[in-house]
Amino acid sequence: MEHGKTTTIKLILGLQSITSGKVIINGYDIEKDFTNAIKKVGAIVENPDMYMYLSGYQNLKLVANLYKNINNERIDDVVKLVKLEKRIKDKVSKYSLGMRQRLGIAQAILHKPNLLILDEPTNGLDPEGIKEMRELLKVLASKEKMAILISSHNLAELDNFCNKVSIIKNGNIIETSEISKIKQEASKELKLFKVDNVIIAKKIIDKIEIIDNNNFKLNIPEEEVPEIINKLVENGIKIYEVKKEEKTLEDAFFEKTGGNIIE
Amino acid sequence: MNKLIKNELIKIFKKKTIYITMIIVFLLIIFMNCMFKFANNSNYSVYIYSENYISSLEEELSKLNPEKSSDVTLYINIKSELELNELMNKYKDSEWKLSIINERISPFITEKNTYKYGAEKNEEQVQKISNEMDSLIAKLEQNDWKYFASQDLENANSTIEELERQKQQTEDTEILKSLDIEIENAQIDKEIALYRLEKNIPYGTDYLNRALTNLKTASSSIIEYENQNKELEYEEKKEYNDALEVKAESKYILDTGIDINKTDSLKGILQNFYSQFGIFLIVVIVMIAGTIVSEESNKGTIKLLLVKPYTRNKILLSKFITTLIMIAFVIITTIIMQILVGGILFGFESLEVPVIAYNFSTNVLEEINIFMYLGIQTLTQLPMIILLGTLAFAISTIFSNSALAITISLLGYMSTSIINQLIIGYNLSYMKYFVTMNWDLSQYLFGNLPSMQGMNITMSIITCIIYLLVMLIPTFIIFKKRNIKNI
Repeated sequence: MEHGKTTTIKLILGLQSITSGKVIINGYDIEKDFTNAIKKVGAIVENPDMYMYLSGYQNLKLVANLYKNINNERIDDVVKLVKLEKRIKDKVSKYSLGMRQRLGIAQAILHKPNLLILDEPTNGLDPEGIKEMRELLKVLASKEKMAILISSHNLAELDNFCNKVSIIKNGNIIETSEISKIKQEASKELKLFKVDNVIIAKKIIDKIEIIDNNNFKLNIPEEEVPEIINKLVENGIKIYEVKKEEKTLEDAFFEKTGGNIIE
Repeated sequence: MNKLIKNELIKIFKKKTIYITMIIVFLLIIFMNCMFKFANNSNYSVYIYSENYISSLEEELSKLNPEKSSDVTLYINIKSELELNELMNKYKDSEWKLSIINERISPFITEKNTYKYGAEKNEEQVQKISNEMDSLIAKLEQNDWKYFASQDLENANSTIEELERQKQQTEDTEILKSLDIEIENAQIDKEIALYRLEKNIPYGTDYLNRALTNLKTASSSIIEYENQNKELEYEEKKEYNDALEVKAESKYILDTGIDINKTDSLKGILQNFYSQFGIFLIVVIVMIAGTIVSEESNKGTIKLLLVKPYTRNKILLSKFITTLIMIAFVIITTIIMQILVGGILFGFESLEVPVIAYNFSTNVLEEINIFMYLGIQTLTQLPMIILLGTLAFAISTIFSNSALAITISLLGYMSTSIINQLIIGYNLSYMKYFVTMNWDLSQYLFGNLPSMQGMNITMSIITCIIYLLVMLIPTFIIFKKRNIKNI
């Protein structure tokens, strides 16, 4: 199902015409002042489509030609940053998908953009590739001071990568905030208890939700926790552990979207 | 903008396609040059039958009975053919003798056999014709071709005398006029016989003989057109002009002895460069123009370009300008290849021979340096090449389909002559603004009359520019508005 991730990116980059609303990058309207708006933006849309018959270096050189002040040293630096030094003179047609993805990032950051837009950057990468990508993006964000916009449906990945998320459902943004906040909100009231006997506990407090022989869940605000503990102790139940439930982004996502099928 | 064009050129020249196509063009040029070099010029020896064919003819002849009225015509034909062939075989080493046998003796053979075997048998006639033939053959034996030429001259002179005599016997202006025309025609024969004797041109099929034949045909049609009572139609005017051109050229050939239409020389091939190699140029150019945008659209690399700080108009314009640069590149490279291949096969010295062009407005022949001539030809062909390239460019941009773009453009090129013939043939004067009528400017060269009445070079150039804009403007608008599809 198309929820509009790629479309959103295309709208931002001026690859698709905007029917209503505005895209403003660095203070310039993408429709009215395209060249200024796009000047400090780097992007990979969908796949990292590079010129297959050229070498990685030639591909970068083509991009460098189109901007002012990109010298060969900058190209070398970027190649080192994306760890392609060894294969940069090879034809792109011989690259693996992960290498192409990194070359795509290299061409996108060559002109030191302050906004880097990536469409599913880990799509088709192996676990090692994903790890490398994550590290690379962290370096870019911290050292090169880029804002990075990633679209993805891989929530575990975003959980690792991002500070802030927007959830899009059927083309509408239903939530935009810090990841930690979203997770926090979703797990606000849920507490997990580990005890020796849940059956007895159930008799004392009937609101509890049994998970297995030793664990149960309870939906109560923080202030009520001591009271519950007291009750359990009074009835001779041994408490091994009490903790707040740590929700993943995925849980939060389903909570927000109502568990709809995602694209 | 310059940077965009530079990148486009890098992309084209880093691809193998351009090299492969140029190598194929190079091989085709070598092949065609070899054909010009080793192709047999037609001559009468090709009319000599093979042994097998002769024996089959003889076998057929033996089955026929000349006494039967149903067989007799065929019998005479085969018999005459065999006799003619025997005679030609005897003199097959001499071009002029074959020519004489073919043109002058062969009617006698048929006539003789008709009297010998036909319905009206006449021994006396047979004898008379045989004697005449023998005397002609005797001249062949004596290697005396001038005899035949002087005969021609005598015949022409006596015809003229006879006609002059007839002229004095009549007062009727109509008859006088027709006699005058006949005299003029006889004078052409006389002129040709004189040329033959003076310039020492034995009979045959070489360029001098061709010039003589052309001179005769052209002069007769000139006389015909000049003596017409009514105003000449446009088509007739064009034919009259063409005849004037052929006459002037033939005379030039006979006077100087230079074969200006020689095809097996570097200059001769270069002179006809666009008619021989035009199709190769168009194929390569259309291929480049038909892929420069659609390939990137289909492979998704267009997105790389479109998110760079350049407007879409600039990106498309840079691709169009690149196409124009490639047109120049392909033309120049092909010409250089031809000069090298032709020079190695035929020698470079023919480059010093000027091209002879007939100027229709001044009625004189002009000598033009071959490179100058080639340059002029290139300019006249450019509108067509650019328009076809633009057509491929526009279709490939709008439909993102290279195959469609290339096919349509090539079809356009190949159907040009048919379309033009139809338009001229049916005299569809409202079609004179159609693009194929206008994109070949060579029709205006040297004061020639254009393909259709009412056309002129300014109009043609404006028409071509309008067609160019009609193709380009929608292409730019569509490209600018286009949403980039997911791949």
